[in-house]
Amino acid sequence: MQILERVQDLPNAGNIKAQWVCLWSGPAVGLVLLIAAAAFPGFWPPMSPTLPAEEVARFYAEHTAWIRFGQVTFNLCGILVVPFFMVIVVQMKRMRGQSHVFAYCYLTAVVSGATFFALSNVFFLVAAFRPDRSPDLIQLLNDLAWIVFIAPIGMLLSQFVLLALAVRFDNGPDPVFPPWVGWYSLATGVAIVPSAAAAVFQTGPLAWDGLLSFWVRNGALAAFVVVMFFVLRRAVLRQAIADGVVAG
Amino acid sequence: MSPVRALTPDGYVTTADGRPAGKPDVRIMTWFFPLWYGLFGIIICLLARVTPPPRPDVSTADKVAFFSQNGLTIQLGFVVLLVLLGGAAMTNGLVAYQMKRMSTGSVLAYGYLAGMSVGALPGFLLVGVCFLTATLRPDRDPELIGLLYDLGMLSYNASLGCFTAAYLVLAIAVLYDRNNIFPKWFAYISVWQIVTEVIASQMVVFYSGPFAWNGSISFWVAVVVFSVWLGALIVILRNAAAAEPADEPDMD
Repeated sequence: MQILERVQDLPNAGNIKAQWVCLWSGPAVGLVLLIAAAAFPGFWPPMSPTLPAEEVARFYAEHTAWIRFGQVTFNLCGILVVPFFMVIVVQMKRMRGQSHVFAYCYLTAVVSGATFFALSNVFFLVAAFRPDRSPDLIQLLNDLAWIVFIAPIGMLLSQFVLLALAVRFDNGPDPVFPPWVGWYSLATGVAIVPSAAAAVFQTGPLAWDGLLSFWVRNGALAAFVVVMFFVLRRAVLRQAIADGVVAG
Repeated sequence: MSPVRALTPDGYVTTADGRPAGKPDVRIMTWFFPLWYGLFGIIICLLARVTPPPRPDVSTADKVAFFSQNGLTIQLGFVVLLVLLGGAAMTNGLVAYQMKRMSTGSVLAYGYLAGMSVGALPGFLLVGVCFLTATLRPDRDPELIGLLYDLGMLSYNASLGCFTAAYLVLAIAVLYDRNNIFPKWFAYISVWQIVTEVIASQMVVFYSGPFAWNGSISFWVAVVVFSVWLGALIVILRNAAAAEPADEPDMD
């Protein structure tokens, strides 16, 4: 994006520049998180909830270094995805036909959801910190880590519902996001709902290593970030043109 | 007004003569507020069994028995709560929105939003995760089940600071506000919420008696104050939404 020389120092240009940086932080952080996920031995395949305590402990003892690398990277970079979601908040605040109430509810949900994610890293890392602990304790930490990682989807679900509502209400002649984004957001919400049951089922598609709770849930979230990158890129570019920050 | 419409956001936030009042999106969130707390109350009281809380002064075997007797409803209640937990963010975001409309501006509204956002983890999430982890493997070492029981209950009942911070900025905002978004008396109820949080700090010391996590003062007085606070807030939010001019511009 080429910001026009004459508006370089105006607040409008600063706003667009900041959004552009946060927008591009999405793919950058996403790539780092994909590397962390690829390096985390517990995902390939996802650890089964039916593993006996001794085998869970052995898993942590045998893969200590890669578990640490994967989860430290998640811990360090996971919350770096929040600025990307802040671009969604800023764009929601630009939508017409509504006050800012959806945007502030969305912001609240993003912050709470981020705290949940951070907690799961801590449990994985404490389990890997002393793999020679009693296997029952390692299994307990592993259970807590997986349940916190997969099951609490309420904050994400409310984000998808709020985004869908905001898009639906955006009744201007030139809506910030195209209408299909609302439906797509709702569909992503529906896709992640079953994974709440991962805290109960030890086998089948709802278990935390199952098709729905692991692959569909995480796949839908990753796809949402990719799709929203292009949606947001278009929205910020159009805002930049409307604000006279770049040439139309 | 038809009885069906009375159950919709447009029928819930109305002028005196029954027409929809305020802004449509604020009407939706204001209508959602009591709905969510109603569901939340049913889940924590009837299904998840955390309110009223199980006793702190029981043996490890009793704690294991608590989870095995109530395992199914705990699992059902907390899984539903994990799905609906985002309702907390939506209701808190609505309060922050109304606070932003006060003459005190954004700073206290953002403080409320921040305190409540962080509070979801110690206040709700951790107890759900602990109880679900305990019921996932009832054959776990009983000492660990006992640990999850204490961890869940202490985090749920004695998570104090996030909510104290939120109630404090809310009380200050309401008292200073010159736009009369919320009535002034609501600030004093919010101060009482802070008092209950301070008293609840004694839960980390006492195993039984009025200051334990199921005690008459630490718990039941707090329940009464919270119920009054929440009931008042439901009415106040509805009045604030109805009184908001539909064309009022947003504060940035």
